[in-house]
Amino acid sequence: MGGLMAIIYGGLAIMPLFVGGVDYMMHILIMILIWAVVASCWDLIMGFAGIFSFGQVAFFVIGAYASAIVSNKFGIPPFFSIFIAGGIAAILGVLVGLPCLRLKGAYVALVTFAVHMILEPFLKGHMGRAIGTGGSRGILTIPPINIFGYAFTPDNKVAVFYLTLVLAVICSVIILMVIRSFWGTAFLALKDSEDFSASLGVSAFKYKLAVFALTSFLTGMVGGFYAHYVGMLSTRMLGIDLFVTLMIMLVIGGIGQFPGAILGAIVTVTLNEMLSPLGPYRPLILGGLVVVLVLLLPDGVIGLLRRIFGGKRKTREAEA
Amino acid sequence: MLIEYADVFISGLTNGSVYALMAVGLTLVYGVSKAFNFAYGSFYSLGGYLAWVLLAGIGIWGGYISVFIIALPLLMAFGYVTEKLIVAPLRSRSDWEIKVMMITLGLALFMDNFYQVAFGSRMKSLPPIVDGVWDLGDIVISYQDIVILVLSVSGILAFRWILNNTRIGMAVRAVAQNPEGARIVGIPKDRVFAATFAISTVMVGAGGVLLAQKYFVSPTGGWDILVKSWVITAFGGMGSIQGGLYAAFILGMLEAFVGYWFGMTWVLFALFAVLLATLAVRPQGLMGKWG
Repeated sequence: MGGLMAIIYGGLAIMPLFVGGVDYMMHILIMILIWAVVASCWDLIMGFAGIFSFGQVAFFVIGAYASAIVSNKFGIPPFFSIFIAGGIAAILGVLVGLPCLRLKGAYVALVTFAVHMILEPFLKGHMGRAIGTGGSRGILTIPPINIFGYAFTPDNKVAVFYLTLVLAVICSVIILMVIRSFWGTAFLALKDSEDFSASLGVSAFKYKLAVFALTSFLTGMVGGFYAHYVGMLSTRMLGIDLFVTLMIMLVIGGIGQFPGAILGAIVTVTLNEMLSPLGPYRPLILGGLVVVLVLLLPDGVIGLLRRIFGGKRKTREAEA
Repeated sequence: MLIEYADVFISGLTNGSVYALMAVGLTLVYGVSKAFNFAYGSFYSLGGYLAWVLLAGIGIWGGYISVFIIALPLLMAFGYVTEKLIVAPLRSRSDWEIKVMMITLGLALFMDNFYQVAFGSRMKSLPPIVDGVWDLGDIVISYQDIVILVLSVSGILAFRWILNNTRIGMAVRAVAQNPEGARIVGIPKDRVFAATFAISTVMVGAGGVLLAQKYFVSPTGGWDILVKSWVITAFGGMGSIQGGLYAAFILGMLEAFVGYWFGMTWVLFALFAVLLATLAVRPQGLMGKWG
């Protein structure tokens, strides 16, 4: 796992040598890193912890708005406000997680998706405007991240790229550590037999709430980072097509096949950019792609590679 | 004073009856096969667009009667094929519940954007099923509302009759109660799953035909319906048809009165509050069995 992750991030790290001068390519690379973290978080909560959370885009948007509002309203430097945004997302994540953990399967997906669905009317409505979301116009001026007087504006994309890379690597290492730690083992045990693990003293509630908090924190923080990078926000991000795009990353990468989600982000963001000249046909193709990929790629690219090369590591299903 | 509320009440009653029809379809599929269909809202729009194509596009002879005769079998076939092609192959896989949700979400995006490309993003309006009003002095009830109410209630009654009195209905109940037992006595489980999916598609599509004449048809109009149907299902209790009926009328009223007093933007918040309160106090819903 760690080796493959190092190869992927190493490969991405040398990309600016080749395309450093092309702003458009650098933007794609930055977005790959941002979505890689969000998709990995989703994989952690859904693929490993077995919680059917459909609220990852919502927490991303909450983090983005929170960081933008905190830095705009209270003048807190963006470098700190993204952590505050992560904290806000984590608190909301725990609040959403508390009722969800009493529920099973599809219910969790639907409650978290309901959070996603009401976020748009909230941000656009009176309450949202009162806390500074700018209503349907969105937030148009968000200061860039500034470290020791050096501003990471979209004008110097190579610098932003390396900052994003540092953030993505830190987040991915945290996720990897969680999967490798006794948490990961606990999740595996809970997935196989919840009753038996509980009888051995594995507390499903504690670990699942912790993973809710952690993934919401990381997703919200990256959301905040994204807000300061692009410099403007609107509720357009809450459209179904972005949600489905994130889902494609997970399907391509394979559910519970970390670091597959990072590979999924690379493929999907690139593909999405290639499809963008097609206008309204782009979401049409993305939707069709999900249907085809879910049917044809049961364990994502990682599962496919393993089947072709017959790797030593067995799949999680085979172990179960 | 009370007279003003009569309009709101009638609107709540009419919408509630159609919601009941659609929520029962959703609870049927989840109750029988544990598959949650995220494209349910897009199936609703499919009903609306079929009606629009037949009435405004082709200008079919016979009006809504022909629409129902043509659209309902088409919806049933569409539901059956969809289940066979994209839901059934996933059943044997690991994490299949989440994969069904993902694939139907992809299907929803595909269908919504297909409508967008094929029909444009402008909202389509349909003619009312019947014209005229019933004048009761202070209160005026449109015949359209009455016909919608009657049709959706008959739809639910017909569904109940099928479930209780036909072989396929009994097979559906058997699979819902005990899938293993049903298999042992030779009930073709896969065909039952496909049949329930087809029936639910007909129910939501018919709901689309009925509500489209009041609220227009648009490419993304189905998401509202998905959320409402699901909140009704959770409130009434997953797998309980009777609970779904009560819940649909209660939430239809809630929607009408919240919309009337506070404005339509608050409806979604109100529904969400009801949902969270239900899940916190009584997770199995009004009449549902947990599981």
